[in-house]
Amino acid sequence: MELEWNCNQFRSRKFSESGSSLLIRHSLMAESSPIKLRRCDSACVSAVSMEAISALTELEDLEKVYLQLCNEEKEVEHELEKLMGQQANMDTKMLSLHRMGPNLQLIGGDASQLSGMITFTCSLAENVSSKVRQLDLAKTRLYKVIQRADDILDLKFCTDGVQTALRNEDYEQAAAHIHRYLSLDQSVIELSRQGGESSAVDASLATLQEAEQRLKVLVAERLDEAVAKGDLAQVERFFKIFPLLGLHEQGLARFGQYLCSQLASKAEENLLLAVGGDLGERRAALLFADTLTLLLEGIARVVETHQPIVETYYGPGYLYMLITHLQQECDRQAQKVVDKFIKQRDYHNKFQVIQNNMMKGVSAERIEPRELDPVLLEVTLMNARAELYLRFLRRRMMSDFEVGDATALPGIVQEHKDSVEKLLKHCKLSQLMQELIGYYIPMEEYYMRETVSKAVAMDTYEKGQLTSSMVDDCFYIVKKCISRALSSSSIDCLCAMINHSTSVLESDFREVVYNKLRQGFPATTLQDIQRGVSSAVSLMQSSLQQGKFNTLGIDSAEVAKAAFLVTLNNVEVCSENISTLKRTLESDCAKLFTQGAGAGDQAKIDSCLSDLVNTSSKFKDLLQEGLMELNTTAIKPQVKPWISSFLSISHNIEEEEFNEYEANDPWVQQLIVNLEQLMAEFKAGLSPVIYDTLTSLMTNLVSMEMEKTVLKCTFSRLGGLQFDKELRSLVAYLTTVTTWTIRDKFARLTQMATILNLERVTEILDYWGPNSGPLTWRLTPAEVRQVLALRIDFRSEDIKRLRL
Amino acid sequence: MNPLSIVWEKTRVNMEDYDYLFKIVLIGNAGVGKTCLVRRFTQGLFPPGQGATIGVDFMIKTVEIKGEKVKLQIWDTAGQERFRSITQSYYRSANALILTYDITCEDSFRCLPEWLREIEQYANTTVVTVLVGNKIDLAEKREVLRQRAEEFAESQSMLYLETSAKESDNVEKLFLDLACKLIREAKQNTLDNNDTANAMPGEGKAISYLSCCSTN
Ligand SMILES: Nc1nc2c(ncn2[C@@H]2O[C@H](COP(=O)(O)OP(=O)(O)OP(=O)(O)O)[C@@H](O)[C@H]2O)c(=O)[nH]1
Ligand SMILES: [Mg+2]
Repeated sequence: MELEWNCNQFRSRKFSESGSSLLIRHSLMAESSPIKLRRCDSACVSAVSMEAISALTELEDLEKVYLQLCNEEKEVEHELEKLMGQQANMDTKMLSLHRMGPNLQLIGGDASQLSGMITFTCSLAENVSSKVRQLDLAKTRLYKVIQRADDILDLKFCTDGVQTALRNEDYEQAAAHIHRYLSLDQSVIELSRQGGESSAVDASLATLQEAEQRLKVLVAERLDEAVAKGDLAQVERFFKIFPLLGLHEQGLARFGQYLCSQLASKAEENLLLAVGGDLGERRAALLFADTLTLLLEGIARVVETHQPIVETYYGPGYLYMLITHLQQECDRQAQKVVDKFIKQRDYHNKFQVIQNNMMKGVSAERIEPRELDPVLLEVTLMNARAELYLRFLRRRMMSDFEVGDATALPGIVQEHKDSVEKLLKHCKLSQLMQELIGYYIPMEEYYMRETVSKAVAMDTYEKGQLTSSMVDDCFYIVKKCISRALSSSSIDCLCAMINHSTSVLESDFREVVYNKLRQGFPATTLQDIQRGVSSAVSLMQSSLQQGKFNTLGIDSAEVAKAAFLVTLNNVEVCSENISTLKRTLESDCAKLFTQGAGAGDQAKIDSCLSDLVNTSSKFKDLLQEGLMELNTTAIKPQVKPWISSFLSISHNIEEEEFNEYEANDPWVQQLIVNLEQLMAEFKAGLSPVIYDTLTSLMTNLVSMEMEKTVLKCTFSRLGGLQFDKELRSLVAYLTTVTTWTIRDKFARLTQMATILNLERVTEILDYWGPNSGPLTWRLTPAEVRQVLALRIDFRSEDIKRLRL
Repeated sequence: MNPLSIVWEKTRVNMEDYDYLFKIVLIGNAGVGKTCLVRRFTQGLFPPGQGATIGVDFMIKTVEIKGEKVKLQIWDTAGQERFRSITQSYYRSANALILTYDITCEDSFRCLPEWLREIEQYANTTVVTVLVGNKIDLAEKREVLRQRAEEFAESQSMLYLETSAKESDNVEKLFLDLACKLIREAKQNTLDNNDTANAMPGEGKAISYLSCCSTN
């Protein structure tokens, strides 16, 4: 690097070659062209050319050029001196470079020596490693030899050991020897037979194989004996020996058989007790659910108790096999319990009767829904217990598989999972429960429909309540039915009942409400105008003081009116209740999911629940229709004449009349009193939310009618002021009766009053267009002109001339 | 919440990312291939060793038809008798039913009238029903002639289609055609509803309960 830097120095300083090393000269030659260029440059540096000097004739000019040239010479001299001054520096640098020469030669020699050494070491290393490989091979072979020697020794040891053990009936020891023999490398044994000691090994092998067969038969016999005697200790003793002989499946089958026989006798005993009926009356209603529970709990206990021994002596992954055996007995026993249940509870027959009833065919036989309560409860309990049991088995089998599956291929893991699912989903117990639930659903549906229609038929109205009894009753029933379905732990069963509830609410129940509303709010007769709805409400209240009255079979118009209002309240509460029901169910279902229901199940429930909650908005639509009806038939016919009476009050007035109006309000106070009276009746009969909505409909009506009426009037300046006063009173009143902002609804009217209050036509321009400020005009220019024209004192030419 | 918005806002804002939502329910005898049809359509595969369905399975697939997002809720029901009452509870809210039989199984075809009775009893009157003959890849084992099935479908005013879930024949077509038809009907429905709404000026005694009673 330093060397290179020096080169550059030389080059830029246009240094001569004198005393430079070979290296430097070389580099200068390579770079010679820029130096030439520079020289050429310096030749041209002089400002005055030779020709120019020769051409000079005047002394003055010559002197000037001479001076210039002198200056130039001085500069060149100065530069030369500077360059010479650096020579010493350069010399020392050159000297140090010379000194480096021999060192470089030394380094070159060292490097080639090092390279030779490395090559040598490398070949040495290769040499060593090939020797190590040979050694390794030798070592492995040696180990194999030792192993084989060991095996042969073991074979001998086993042969002797097994016979002694068998003689001593020490089956565990014998099995251990056989196990050792079985775990020997069979190919090694094969090789040994070909060796020098072939006959000896052959003899050993024959003995061993014979012993193995004998032991297998013996152990099987002894286990069968123990099973027959029901000797658990002996059963377990021989059960443990099977895996040593490689007879895992046989061992589990025989052990399973033993456990099954134990389970069977216990289960039969329990069923006999149950059917015998000498159990406490209290649980009698749940007899079969209890019996099934005993059975399933018994099996769960067996699994729990024997899982450790299977795990220890058979290794992981064998619990599935044992459970397959146990499940067969479970299926058999469950079938017996369910058969007895169906027979004793007359389950199929009940279903048939209900089926006939639901097909809307006339059937002589009917079942009281109440009578179904116990059997419905029992079935859901049975299914819940079965689900609990199956979940338990799934957990146990999966965790048993997991131990071995940690290192297994994904395919094997899936296979295990599938076989567990298949066993649980398609076992007879599952099938039996699916059948019971299959009958349960229509029965629960029948229960719900019948009870709901009963609640509707017995609908009563209690004093001080806005709604009648059927709303609460119906939702109580629907909730009860869905909760019962939920308690079965069967998600399909739950979803089916949610679907049926949606159907009951949307068709059956909504139909009833809809029909009631369709009877309508009785049209207002002439007398009614005076009495208003007050009579209906007071009648309703007076009849309430005597107790209850039936909202069905109404004949008088007043009761019909009251019924209409109650129905509106009912509809609103229904819509609320549905939303509440959905929320409640959601949180109830959440519990189900902590027990391990899948994501697919969640989606199913969510979908069914969202259908349920959609019915809520259908009730809201109904409420809207009902309110429109009420507005049309009860409010409009009354409000319209009250407002059109405005026409009979002249607003083409002078000072005197204005003052008289001031003293004696001609219209608005009466309107307010009337409205107050009219709405008071609804306020008493409707829920606050519905009443508020109705009020809003009423105020819309008032503003619309007012607008129409005002446009039919004429106004003087003071008449305009009068109208403004009246409008303010009206708006002030209406603001007090509702939570809605009235101002917005009356914006057009307020703007009309503003126009009617103007001094001159052109004054409108102070409020219009760019001058409108925060005011947003709700009136079109045409409407503004129309309102202006209502003022008798405004000339139509002025109005026409307005630029709006 | 502002009560007026409840009363006045009849058109509720659709917050979900689809234009239409339809419920399609598959019914038919056990083993005719309902689950395979659904899995072919929703997952694009033919499941080996498909076991019998327990209860109902629920799947969702969103498809785009002429620029409109259509969410299909597909309910795959179990054909085995003991699940019948669970299945029945789904008929009422279904927009479409896919009634499936197996062309290699005369028995599954002969059960169709029984299924039609169920539909009659439980389903909405406006439900669209498609008859599907599945497993046409097993042509050599065919037991129900195409013409016979077509005639039957026509007599019951059902659409008819033959499919193979295994070879993926007509499976897309089945669902997409159905979605198209449902969109057409939905559009017709809103048109009709608007007509009735316009015909009701809100004056007078009669009020338009019926328009809000429209089938879902
Ligand atoms: N060759 C052929 N086999 C099919 C086809 N579709 C289904 N399968 C077979 O038919 C059998 C039943 O199919 P699934 O889809 O389980 O029938 P499913 O109608 O859902 O039956 P359930 O759930 O019990 O009602 C399975 O073994 C499938 O492999 C098809 O298109 N071609
Ligand atoms: Mg299926």
